[in-house]
Amino acid sequence: MKMFCYAVRAGLLVLSSITSLLGQQTQFSHELRFAQYLSDKEAIEEALHVLTRLPAASLSLPQRDSLYYAIGWNAYRIKRLDLAAPTLLRVSDASGFYPKSQFFGHYSQAFLGQTDSAYAALVRLPLTDTLHNELRHLQLAGISLLRRDFGRFAQHQRAFSYGSYALEKEERRMLDYARTMQNVKRKSPFLAGLYSAAVPGLGKWYAGKKRQGIAAFLPILSLGLLTYEGWRKDGVRSARFIGFGTLFTVFYVGNIWGSALSVKIKRDEFRQEYDNKILFDMHIPLRNVFE
Amino acid sequence: MTTRFYLTCTFLCATCLSKAQNLSPEDGLLRQADSLLSQSEFFEASIAYERVLFGNRDVYDNYRAAIGKTQCLKQQKRFGPAVTFLNEQLSAPYPDSLLYRLGYERVLCQYLAGQFENALSGLEQLQYLHPQQPTPRLLSVVRILSLNELQRWPEAAAAYRALAVQQGLDTTRTPYDRLPKLKSEKKAQTLSTFIPGGGQFYAGKPGEALLSILVQGAGLYFGITSFLQGYYISAWGIGAGLFGSFHMGGVRRAETLVKQHNRRTTEEFNRWVRAVLLNE
Repeated sequence: MKMFCYAVRAGLLVLSSITSLLGQQTQFSHELRFAQYLSDKEAIEEALHVLTRLPAASLSLPQRDSLYYAIGWNAYRIKRLDLAAPTLLRVSDASGFYPKSQFFGHYSQAFLGQTDSAYAALVRLPLTDTLHNELRHLQLAGISLLRRDFGRFAQHQRAFSYGSYALEKEERRMLDYARTMQNVKRKSPFLAGLYSAAVPGLGKWYAGKKRQGIAAFLPILSLGLLTYEGWRKDGVRSARFIGFGTLFTVFYVGNIWGSALSVKIKRDEFRQEYDNKILFDMHIPLRNVFE
Repeated sequence: MTTRFYLTCTFLCATCLSKAQNLSPEDGLLRQADSLLSQSEFFEASIAYERVLFGNRDVYDNYRAAIGKTQCLKQQKRFGPAVTFLNEQLSAPYPDSLLYRLGYERVLCQYLAGQFENALSGLEQLQYLHPQQPTPRLLSVVRILSLNELQRWPEAAAAYRALAVQQGLDTTRTPYDRLPKLKSEKKAQTLSTFIPGGGQFYAGKPGEALLSILVQGAGLYFGITSFLQGYYISAWGIGAGLFGSFHMGGVRRAETLVKQHNRRTTEEFNRWVRAVLLNE
């Protein structure tokens, strides 16, 4: 009789645990489907709100992977890369979403400026597929260019086959970017100032800002001529000469200072332009391969 | 002790089984959503209403959820997404009476979203698809206000008179007896070209007109006197330069001022008509 009671108790315990687990699993898959429904209706913020409230700690590994992938991918779609990166990188290697999550997670890190961690993690990523391997080299090459490490770029560029439709154009463009960035002539702010001192506006022309150079030259020329006229007709003590002379001096000194600064501005613009191009060409192959 | 144990286990099983079977009871969800809406938790309420639609069980529950979600979006002033949501709902198999109400909401949201052409065509569609339904006053007001915003005043005036007749109001005196007087940008530019400050005066900005006259006059005076005194570079560089740049700037400024004047006048008239219609 005692044995019978113990058996019944044990049976009830097992049954209540199973039903509790089943209830939890069904609840989770329902919430995931609901979040997918919201996502399909482009209500991404609402989908994220639903997903981020699910308790990850009480889920099994496959469920956690699905949850992290769903959160990461939805965050990525609305460009919340600060949430997308860490969440996608939490997807385990047991999941079918693992390669996609890793690539997009590391791309998001690179976009946010975390190039060191993105590079180190991508290098260690275990991949067996040849296309994924080549894609990894493309990403690493892109990150190397973002860090202006042309030696590392050359290393990864050797793995480009230019044979896959999904990667070919971007591989060739990366090569062009590397060549352009290595061949760009470094301009000197001191020289720019010196040129503008000799001929107003010439320093800006040297820095690559041609229209600004002309725009600087014309008013200084006009003020110079007015100052000369004042000096010639009224002498050095005249109000006309002093007034226009002062204005000429201010514009002339400003033009020299502006030319020196324009070298740095042009350099920053060039860097920003190429960083954007590199990130764009890192992104397109990811969409080609995984979607 | 043993009895308590058996009762606890039975209770746990029953709860978990029922939870697994009945995950999204629409009644409970609707009540929860309505409660969130009444507490002004519009974002949370919107998600709760979507849960009902996701469950997709009863057409009347779906309708209540659709209306609830529309209210949430309107309260958040997200009128564009509200229109998109209602466009989706209008393709669902609701009965005619419910479709009419959803169409009504869509017209309101289209007006509030600034989609005036869409609001007018939504109204036409509603009348065509539901000819037996009398047009509510608010929709007639939306028609008049939408026509106003599109500056189709003769049609707005006709719609106003039709509404006034329906409501038994005075039709001999309407806001449309005094339509806003709009000015011509081309005329302002022409005036400024030949008369310094002329375009600004025409646009109703005498202060700017005087300033323009002064500066252009000063440039002209300086240029002429410098030339007569032999300062040829000053005459061209400052006199002609000052006069020329303020003259061309004045022509463009006159055009901008007329555009601003017309926009302000139209907005004031529309605001007045809106106040008259909504207070009656």
